[in-house]
Amino acid sequence: MSATPLIELTIDGRKVAVAPGTTVFDAARVNGIAIPTLCHQQNETPVGVCRMCVVDVGARVFAASCVRPAESGMVVTTSSERVEAARHTLLELLMSDHPSPCARQQHSGDCELETLARAAGIGASRFPRRAPRPQDDSSPAIAVAHDACILCDRCIRGCGDIRNNFVLARMGKGGATDIAFDAAAPMGESTCVSCGECMVSCPTGALTNKFVVGTALGAEHGAVSATTEELLALPVFHNVSGTFLELNKNAVIKRRYRKGEIVCREGDFGSTAFYILEGKVNVSISSPMAHVKTSGGERGFFSRLGSFLIGRASDHRAEDVTRRSIPIDAPVDLDYNHPVAELGPGELFGEMTCMNFYPRSATVRAETDCIVLEMLRNVLDTMRKNKTLRAQLDRTYRQRALEDHLRNVPLFRALDQEFLDRLRERVELSSFAPGQVICRQGEPADSFYLVRLGFVKVSERHAGGELVLAYLSRGDYFGEIGLLGGGARTATCTALDHAEVVRIPGEEFRAMLERFPSVRQGLEAVAQERQQANHERMAVLGSVPLESFLAQGLMEAQSLLVLDLERCTRCDACVNACADAHDGVTRLIREGLRFDKYLIATSCRQCRDPLCMVGCPVGSIRRRNSLEVIIEDWCIGCGLCAQNCPYGNINLHPFTEQAEDPDHPGRKRAVVRKKATSCDLCTNQAEPSCVYACPHDAAHRVEPRQFFSSLLGAPASRDEKGAK
Amino acid sequence: MRIDRTHTGWLVASCVLLGAACILYSLARPPASTAPMGGTPLGLGFGIAGFAFMIFAALLGARKKVPVWRLGRAQTWMRGHLWLGLLTLPLILFHADFHSGGPLTTVLLWLLVIVVASGIFGAALQHFMPATMTREVPLETIYEEIDHVRAQLRAEAAEQIARAKTIAVPENPDEEGAAAKAAEPAAPLAAFYEREIRPYLEHAPGRSALADRAQADRAFASVRLLVPTELRNAVDDLENICEEDRQLTRQARLHRWLHAWLLVHVPLSIALILLGAVHAVVALRY
Repeated sequence: MSATPLIELTIDGRKVAVAPGTTVFDAARVNGIAIPTLCHQQNETPVGVCRMCVVDVGARVFAASCVRPAESGMVVTTSSERVEAARHTLLELLMSDHPSPCARQQHSGDCELETLARAAGIGASRFPRRAPRPQDDSSPAIAVAHDACILCDRCIRGCGDIRNNFVLARMGKGGATDIAFDAAAPMGESTCVSCGECMVSCPTGALTNKFVVGTALGAEHGAVSATTEELLALPVFHNVSGTFLELNKNAVIKRRYRKGEIVCREGDFGSTAFYILEGKVNVSISSPMAHVKTSGGERGFFSRLGSFLIGRASDHRAEDVTRRSIPIDAPVDLDYNHPVAELGPGELFGEMTCMNFYPRSATVRAETDCIVLEMLRNVLDTMRKNKTLRAQLDRTYRQRALEDHLRNVPLFRALDQEFLDRLRERVELSSFAPGQVICRQGEPADSFYLVRLGFVKVSERHAGGELVLAYLSRGDYFGEIGLLGGGARTATCTALDHAEVVRIPGEEFRAMLERFPSVRQGLEAVAQERQQANHERMAVLGSVPLESFLAQGLMEAQSLLVLDLERCTRCDACVNACADAHDGVTRLIREGLRFDKYLIATSCRQCRDPLCMVGCPVGSIRRRNSLEVIIEDWCIGCGLCAQNCPYGNINLHPFTEQAEDPDHPGRKRAVVRKKATSCDLCTNQAEPSCVYACPHDAAHRVEPRQFFSSLLGAPASRDEKGAK
Repeated sequence: MRIDRTHTGWLVASCVLLGAACILYSLARPPASTAPMGGTPLGLGFGIAGFAFMIFAALLGARKKVPVWRLGRAQTWMRGHLWLGLLTLPLILFHADFHSGGPLTTVLLWLLVIVVASGIFGAALQHFMPATMTREVPLETIYEEIDHVRAQLRAEAAEQIARAKTIAVPENPDEEGAAAKAAEPAAPLAAFYEREIRPYLEHAPGRSALADRAQADRAFASVRLLVPTELRNAVDDLENICEEDRQLTRQARLHRWLHAWLLVHVPLSIALILLGAVHAVVALRY
């Protein structure tokens, strides 16, 4: 397979080569040549309205470089006398109506228009000033000064393309053109949600914040409030609105950590991300790499059931995941056998906690004295729009984590290093907003995906509604089945939160199948298995009236503990047995919904839509192919799954272990570690303990559709259907 | 435990055992002039079998203390307890040749009769009561949580009244008593709450009209007529709260019925086992 040829052009006498589709502006930028602009912002689609970025491409007229695609053999001059003269006139015209100094220049001294004008040596304009346009102070959060507006459309694109609010637009014609909110309503009376995107996009003082946002990060741990000038000097804040930083000064704070100090702890809830300016930090998981196992009763008359921690090396469970790395909220994953990694300057961690308020996935400790920036979500959002930072984050991901993720895909284990290196450079990294569909059921399949950040919901459509198959987190993958034979997608994949995925284009995937026949064989076997399971699942779903089940949420369950209330004497033998079987921590409560004469006890239902899986910071709660929910060894005991379970069916089981005492080096102290547990149907026994211990034949573990089939008027199984 | 078709095997086996015992007894019982039946090999056999069945029945309590030990399903133990326990009575009667004997054996016989009778009574309760409870107490909760739920109901009722007092009612001059209703629309409801609902929910001494469903329905119907439309929801909520409390009271009563008989059955069973052991030692040794 041949590589896509690059385009070669000359910019300011320098030969450069760029990918097809690159604009002249970006071609210059990546080669270190700056072209001034006003209407172009890196995170928005360029429109070429301001004409500040005009360059001489040897044509009859100058071209707006932000929208002009680079062509092979093109000779570009970004700064000739004619080009500079054109820009100078443009600046003069714009400054003629500009109320200098505007609000932004007054607040933070970085009005982009006035900065360019000053650099061009423009003082008083020779052009007459038009009549002043009105101010709009109706919004409680944002001041609108139409006089300072240069109609660059950045605010319109920010409001529409980025935030999807679509409040702003242009109104009027010619010299009477203005930006308008809804149908020219005052901003405060429009549908504006005060997200501030227009304000941070505006290059001048036309849209400015009215008051300092009241967020403030704590002042402990050697906090030093970074000045706006200091922040603007950092590459990651390049092109960020100084007004924004000024008015959110306490939302980003510089912290100093001495060697050995803890930056954040695994399991703690938080709302900030960290960017390392200097020094190194050590990222690790201190929870034991083990899962909860209950056993003992099957070995003899007097043997007692007990719960204890055991690793997968000593206790391999059916369909155990053999992944070697633990996904965390950082640019790297941790090795299962040695869950420690190091991060250095220029690296960002804690994004998922900051954006989605998930618990911290690991403990971060200063390896050396270090300085970090701690920031809230609004600042992180703004930082992430910076293409330089994005490129840096992408590069780090490709170098440090992508190969691990690829190796974690069982199909890719047979690939050689050369192919993996090639894949590493050819994958695309894409972001999706919460609720955005990544691929839809039935669409032609054209890509394979790996989850880099966030959560992706995989669901199937059927007659009665939607069935969630899985929630995928960092390191998981999807889309391989549809690629076989150019087929269609078998499920819809939707970003549950701010998700980032690695996309392997179909042609690369097919190249891999051609080159590695074993991969193809493995894939075909998996595809056949899944299609068979899908077919069976759909057949059963289609045979049962769903309404009554759906009303009680019973359809979501694959396994229910039901108590026949006409037999149950309310003796609580089931609850006592469960507690006895699990060191006093019961996993069932004799309380819940009623369906006919049955009580649906509060115990893990092995739900089809496992909400417990959403948000796990280390991806340790997953489901087997049998759809049974299982908790992996690297559970850090944060309790988010327990909070997410709508039925309260997940418990945190405490265990005591000896750990190093940080206050007394060399000594150990007892610490309590928690691991999440839920009903595992006492898989080490022939029958669940609750059912076994019920003296009245009232407790049963059932598959709801089959068990209730007579009540629903549907056949219990296809066999029974055939028999009838 | 519900006695249903799944007990057929046990019933048949018990009948067969009983039949065999009856045949043996009628064929082999000694003439009245000879030594007591209990001392004969057959009598001893009946006694040992009967006592063994008693021991097995008593071990059900111990079995329940170790619910997860794999000693056989609890259900099997319970069925054994019922049927073998029932069989102890005819076996011991055969052992005693239907004579009470001395003071100890007389006490033992009475204890056995009471224990078996209480056991049959308990089995009957466990057969019928769960269905009754399911039918009559749809708002059932865990028995130990009843007091906590009642406290929540009291708090909810107080909140309802507090909220009702803040509801403003627009004046409707055409409505009878409009002026009074507009001035203090929640007054009748508040008075009813203080007079009837709160004492009932707090289970103050004395009989409350709200304890009976029919009377409660009539009382709330009267209150509905006295309050404006805007407060009808509050009245409905308070009525539901009282209904839930009635159900909890019913549940507590049924639960006590379902379990109180054990206060007779269990101690007397223990006494029966102990005295039976004494009798065995005394009778065999002396």
